[in-house]
Amino acid sequence: MNHIEQVMGLPVSVDVRAGGDLVDHAIDGVFGWLREVDARFSPFKAGSEVCRYDRGELATSELSADLLEVLSLCDHYERLSGGAFTARLPGRRLDPNAVVKGWAVQRAASLLLAEGLDVFCLNVGGDVVTAGEPEPGRAWRVGIRHPERPGAVCAVVESSGGAVATSAEYERGAHILDGRTGRPPVGLLSVTVAADDLVTADSLATAAFAMGTEGIAWVASQPGCQVLVIDAERQVHRSPGLRLA
Amino acid sequence: MKKTIVAATVALSAAGFLGVWLYEPGPLGSETVAVAAPVPSAVSSSDGGASEGAERTVDGSVESNRYGTVQVRLVISAEDRISEVRLLQRPTSGRGVAAIPILQEETLTAQSADIDTVSGATSTSESYVKSLQAALDAR
Repeated sequence: MNHIEQVMGLPVSVDVRAGGDLVDHAIDGVFGWLREVDARFSPFKAGSEVCRYDRGELATSELSADLLEVLSLCDHYERLSGGAFTARLPGRRLDPNAVVKGWAVQRAASLLLAEGLDVFCLNVGGDVVTAGEPEPGRAWRVGIRHPERPGAVCAVVESSGGAVATSAEYERGAHILDGRTGRPPVGLLSVTVAADDLVTADSLATAAFAMGTEGIAWVASQPGCQVLVIDAERQVHRSPGLRLA
Repeated sequence: MKKTIVAATVALSAAGFLGVWLYEPGPLGSETVAVAAPVPSAVSSSDGGASEGAERTVDGSVESNRYGTVQVRLVISAEDRISEVRLLQRPTSGRGVAAIPILQEETLTAQSADIDTVSGATSTSESYVKSLQAALDAR
């Protein structure tokens, strides 16, 4: 069954190749979790744990294990990217969203697995986690959105038991900033990363996009991922191991 | 769990790209470029016989927000599959215009033999999702 709903301001679709009450229950769990994440971690909701921490109302020792994990991931990717990726841009409020989404969706996928569902495709605003094969012998086929033509895809990547994330700015304008300069990066149209988990895929894609042109070599050198980068010259840079359908 | 996306096959380095080739934003169709076509397999392929006349349409609710008004129409094939998503009403300006086509595509390709889902920053008006869900519920 395929269920579509809007959470965190994003369209969420869950495609589960099974039926019955168990599936309904599991899908309810996924949406419940994503709504909980939105309430707890949104930098746009004044009462969220993130906002309270940012305003100094919560000490680090009072933070939930979940938020500590998220902040630790933010620090990891900030170091890894030399500061291009950051949750603490000077002059702005704390915004761990770049990590929260991948982290939350990966956790949602583990909820489905824990319910015994092992064939599904979860897509939250274009970030994808897959499990199993929709048909015996074939992986899930994930279309990569064309960076210049809404409604078209520019490549199709195969995934089963993995994650695919794409960073670009065709949808929301220049919402990704280079943490080193505070300005929108230049040189790339989109960065797609396939990895075993969505935290890795999403964070690396965002960090590489924020780095601009130098993000191409950087992301390609990261272990555990395969990449497809389209630069502003309209050249495609692809890892040799990327499974194109 | 089986991991089919693995890094083990090739040790990547900065020079580890298999190739760099010109990206063609124009007509699609090469091996690296594909169009998410509207699910021909989901449409009744028969020109006659039992399925003739079985195709039907279901309209979603009219939903408005600050980006505009959206209403979805689903075309349901004889096999009870979504064969087409049309927009009876859609925003004519602003950000909502860009958001709609990709969602149409995602809805179409969700059942496609070719593509299961789409990766890429997507956002849209809540209206589209609401109208789509209403149409699905009415199916």
